[in-house]
Amino acid sequence: MIYGFFPGCAYQAAAGYKESVDAVCGLLGIELREIEDWNCCGATAAFSRSQKEALVLTGRLFALAARQGFEEIVTVCNACYSTLKKAAKLLDGQPALLEQVNRVMAAEGLLLEHPLPVKHLLEVMLRDRSRLSWPRGECRLPEQVKVAAYYGCQLTRPWQDVPRALRPDILESLLEAAGIEAVDHSARTLCCGASHAVAYSGRCQVLIDRIINGIRAKGGNLVTTVCPLCQFNLDQGQQGRAGDKVPVTYFTQVLGLAFGLPPEKLGLKKLLVPLKRIGL
Amino acid sequence: MKAETEAKLQAEILESEPGRAILTCIQCGTCSGSCPLAEAMDHGPRAVFAMIRDGQVEAALASNTAWYCVSCYQCMVQCPQQIPITDIMYLLKQMSLDRGLAPGDNKMPDLYAAFERQVRLFGKVSEALLMADYGLKHPLDVMASTPAAVKLLARGRLHLLPRKIAAAQRLRALLEAAGQKERAS
Repeated sequence: MIYGFFPGCAYQAAAGYKESVDAVCGLLGIELREIEDWNCCGATAAFSRSQKEALVLTGRLFALAARQGFEEIVTVCNACYSTLKKAAKLLDGQPALLEQVNRVMAAEGLLLEHPLPVKHLLEVMLRDRSRLSWPRGECRLPEQVKVAAYYGCQLTRPWQDVPRALRPDILESLLEAAGIEAVDHSARTLCCGASHAVAYSGRCQVLIDRIINGIRAKGGNLVTTVCPLCQFNLDQGQQGRAGDKVPVTYFTQVLGLAFGLPPEKLGLKKLLVPLKRIGL
Repeated sequence: MKAETEAKLQAEILESEPGRAILTCIQCGTCSGSCPLAEAMDHGPRAVFAMIRDGQVEAALASNTAWYCVSCYQCMVQCPQQIPITDIMYLLKQMSLDRGLAPGDNKMPDLYAAFERQVRLFGKVSEALLMADYGLKHPLDVMASTPAAVKLLARGRLHLLPRKIAAAQRLRALLEAAGQKERAS
């Protein structure tokens, strides 16, 4: 199946995200077709500075995707996801804003009739599972690996697309479909500090410790994430930690391992906290 | 004179789409209690809403509160009055920048400005260049992350060269046009 893909700026350099998305999507029969000449979504920075500029950045993306024949946009980053959803809500709810954006974009010959639905790859895999070539074999992840699903904050709220904003379970459901029983823990939607970790690393360290400690307390020894910034903050944020580090992966890396894909195709060597800590 | 300015600022917030909901705030403090960085803020969101209703709007805009908002939306989900608190924080940041009221001792305005420069130059953001730009003003933060940067570089996780979109220049023109419309209106 073909999907309109918005990778976002952080994806390319993220720790094995691209490698593992390519490997897993290749196996499942998902073709992620990049929106041609996509730009940065603006993330929290653009909306913090100017709503009009933020809506032009997102408006251009929606307009390009629509012109290229896509009916929805698939992302792999919580910040891209929430920024596009936030823009879509504004452009859908306030016709004057849509008109304003179109007036500016007319200079580029772009016209946006309405924003497209935005989905995370995780949602798409779960939704379209029956139409994908989902492997039927046994889960190849060793038993000693106790996976803790971590959603971060921006994916599940307040868009109400992912059920139960504060206690979601779609990531656990996806893992279960690959034969992985995730550990239950209460840090799954706590905030990692996002870009504040650049300017206020000390304050965000407290948030990161809270998440890692919460996961460890419930027996998790491997975190799996769905966002480049979450992965980076949780991985990098353990560098000063004593013995009890927990590797932080992307959900596609864990799926790849469970499906028995070769580890070297999943970019696992790029993790800062190495997987050999848990015997992988 | 001052009172007049306060009233004008207050009206701008309370008559805006997200801001009007401040009038329904019951001052329960759930927002401040659920905020991951409330401790760092001059005032929690609850107090900021009280200040806006009380006419201390300039002080609310000059506080660091909205700049410490990480945009995690936890308050917004928890609010019993369904006030779009995170959206209001964005509005406060935009208004404080427009009026030169953004707090000088908070670093997020500089980080966001550096981010915007990246977008305007390349249409995309490269982490290394973003850090280099931000580091001109805050070298200590960048030096603190140097050991991490070395590890990331070794693992192919830090790209030093910008990736530019084909329409970078034209995107920049669109952003400038949008910005001008904003100032004019």
